[in-house]
Amino acid sequence: MIVQTALLIGLVLFSVLAILLRDLLKSAISLAAASLLLGIIFFRMNAPYAGVFEISVVAGLITVLFILTIALTKAGDEVRESRAANWVFPLFFIAFIIIDALVMKGLLRKIPALASGAETGTFGDVLWKGRTFDLVGQIAVILAGVFAVLALFRKRDKHD
Amino acid sequence: MIILFVALPLVVAGILPLVGKVSRRVVPDLLANAALLFLLVYAAITGRHLIAGGPVLQQLSWFGEPVAIRLALDGFSLFMLLAIAVVGLAACLFSIDYMEHYGAKANYYALFLVMVAGMNGLVLATDLFSVYLFMEVAAVASYALVAFGLGQDELEAAFKYLMLSVVATAFILVSVAVIFGMTGSLDFAGVAKALQEINAGAAVGVASAFFLVGFGLKAALIPFHAWLPDAHPSAPAPISAVLSGLLIKVSGIYAMTRIFLNVFGLTPALSTVLMSLGTLSMVVAAFLALGQKDMKRMLAYSSISQVGYIVLGIGIGTPLGIAGGLFHLFNHALAKGLLFLTSGSVQQSTGTRNLDEMGGLAKRMPITAATNLVGALSIVGIPPLNGFWSKLIIIIALIQAGHPVFALIAVLTSVLTLWYFLLMQRKAFFGKLNEKWAAVKEAPFWMTAATVLLALLCVGIGILFSSTVTTWIQPAADVLADGVHAVIGSWGF
Amino acid sequence: MTNTWYFYLFFAAALVFAGILGLLLRRNLIKLFIAIEVIAKGISLLLLGTGFVKDNILVAQTLVVTFIVVEVSLVATALALIINIYRQTKSLDVRKLARLKG
Repeated sequence: MIVQTALLIGLVLFSVLAILLRDLLKSAISLAAASLLLGIIFFRMNAPYAGVFEISVVAGLITVLFILTIALTKAGDEVRESRAANWVFPLFFIAFIIIDALVMKGLLRKIPALASGAETGTFGDVLWKGRTFDLVGQIAVILAGVFAVLALFRKRDKHD
Repeated sequence: MIILFVALPLVVAGILPLVGKVSRRVVPDLLANAALLFLLVYAAITGRHLIAGGPVLQQLSWFGEPVAIRLALDGFSLFMLLAIAVVGLAACLFSIDYMEHYGAKANYYALFLVMVAGMNGLVLATDLFSVYLFMEVAAVASYALVAFGLGQDELEAAFKYLMLSVVATAFILVSVAVIFGMTGSLDFAGVAKALQEINAGAAVGVASAFFLVGFGLKAALIPFHAWLPDAHPSAPAPISAVLSGLLIKVSGIYAMTRIFLNVFGLTPALSTVLMSLGTLSMVVAAFLALGQKDMKRMLAYSSISQVGYIVLGIGIGTPLGIAGGLFHLFNHALAKGLLFLTSGSVQQSTGTRNLDEMGGLAKRMPITAATNLVGALSIVGIPPLNGFWSKLIIIIALIQAGHPVFALIAVLTSVLTLWYFLLMQRKAFFGKLNEKWAAVKEAPFWMTAATVLLALLCVGIGILFSSTVTTWIQPAADVLADGVHAVIGSWGF
Repeated sequence: MTNTWYFYLFFAAALVFAGILGLLLRRNLIKLFIAIEVIAKGISLLLLGTGFVKDNILVAQTLVVTFIVVEVSLVATALALIINIYRQTKSLDVRKLARLKG
């Protein structure tokens, strides 16, 4: 539990860092570190498939996409962030953490839940046989993404 | 084979880019429109047969093994599928001519069909997470379609739309996670049954609130509407028609209604909240529409206002109110789709969306002016057009349920609606012909054909409203009025 | 619900809130998108945490995997939009995008 807590605190820290850092590249790397920690957290929750996906796709693929975009938009460093955000963010965030903790303590044992039956089958069974419609949805969303990128990067000879 | 509603558009979308390499215009046009025509015929004709005996629950099996694609087709879903098919087909026909100067037609049709597949999938899903998933499918396709023209305004509108949608997704998924935690299941029947067993008032209330924020953002209810007045005008006209006419209703209203009425059950508190939000949207958006100079922006605010009517009607909770709300959903989809399409015709002929620059276009574009008038009068609620009946039913339902104040507000807002639409008609179509437009021509064939189709439907449904209501609206309203029982009893797989 | 659920909910809520705060306060388009990514992390943590507590870890994993696939599509589309915006306006400042009045 201690390790898990430490990992979770690290996750939140790196995520907040990713939002607050000024340099875009450092932000992207901080986000990747956060994803790595989240993947490890998933592993420790007996969720190896989710962990692998999180590390390879989010920490890997998405970070690469971010770095690609940062490289293609070099002048982006010149966006001057508002100074106020530097103290507003930590202030509100810490306020939220306190409220969060209090709410959680207050909610302990308050939300009823049905005991659930044991799970059967393997991950493959659950995904392919238990949630097949989701696979159709995944194919659809991948198609949507592919077509979206194709549409947005098409050669413009004349447009509206 | 209900899965065809999702599979057909996806398969056609998949092969369109390949086809597009070979034939840039004719075959993609043909394929896309044929696909939508098929969906329309399937929904209108075979659909009614299928549900004649009660909701159809299909569990597919591949190679002998049952596979968990569980789709449910009942009155409500069939009704939505029909609406999607009609407006989708009209927008697609319109696109044949309108999208010529955007280029990359095959790609456009592919995105369009994926969006339709996403909407159909959402309507047929029986599972909270699948609802979210197909909502995202339609959403991702719509971001690209809003930005399709690649102009600065379009890109900005698409990005803002994306950001707000992500917040909506976050709220919806948090709610789904809480429901999953409480009930241990994600499918509608399981959740409904489990919620009956647990006594979880406050937690369900919080989950409902989160769903309200999430789906409210998608439906563009005030105060969650900020993205719509930018996104809908910037998109190409047929996409605006589908976004205003369908997407906000499928992703927002359908999902919300299905979950609140069939899974959670409509409590008096929820009913009050829905009615209040609906009224707020109805009134505020109507006022905001008054001051608009951009034709499509005025239509966008009008959409927010009419969505308010729909939510108000459904929120009443009585069978009549629900029927009125659903009927208005259908009518608005037709009429607003029509209005956006005609605005596209105007934009293409004159090059502007600014009402102040137009004038007297009726003389040069008579068909467009006439169909636009039909659409406008339909939304205002002038007899014998379809909008009149749906608004009347909502107002009667309000009075019957003991909410005379709401009824009065609804009537007054109709007057406001009449005002701003008359403004639009006068500025754009009637009055003196502005010198600039002396040489303007009527819109090309497919564009006018699509608008005439929708206008005829508006008139036809207005005249034949009672048979429309009994055949299509009543089954849908009955399913919803049944509340939780509709799902627990007949949907148990 | 067992106490562990509230434990994970605490952290997930912190992440989602941080992300939303970032959306409100940041001006660089890419930073805004990083905030969206942080929200997504919060959501996946919550989904998996719920499944873990209910002993339904396999179902939760399928949900998270599907969610990540959707996220990738979303990121691709959003970054395509950002790159296009940059090409048009030569800037990544969201304030410069205030031409439409919303």
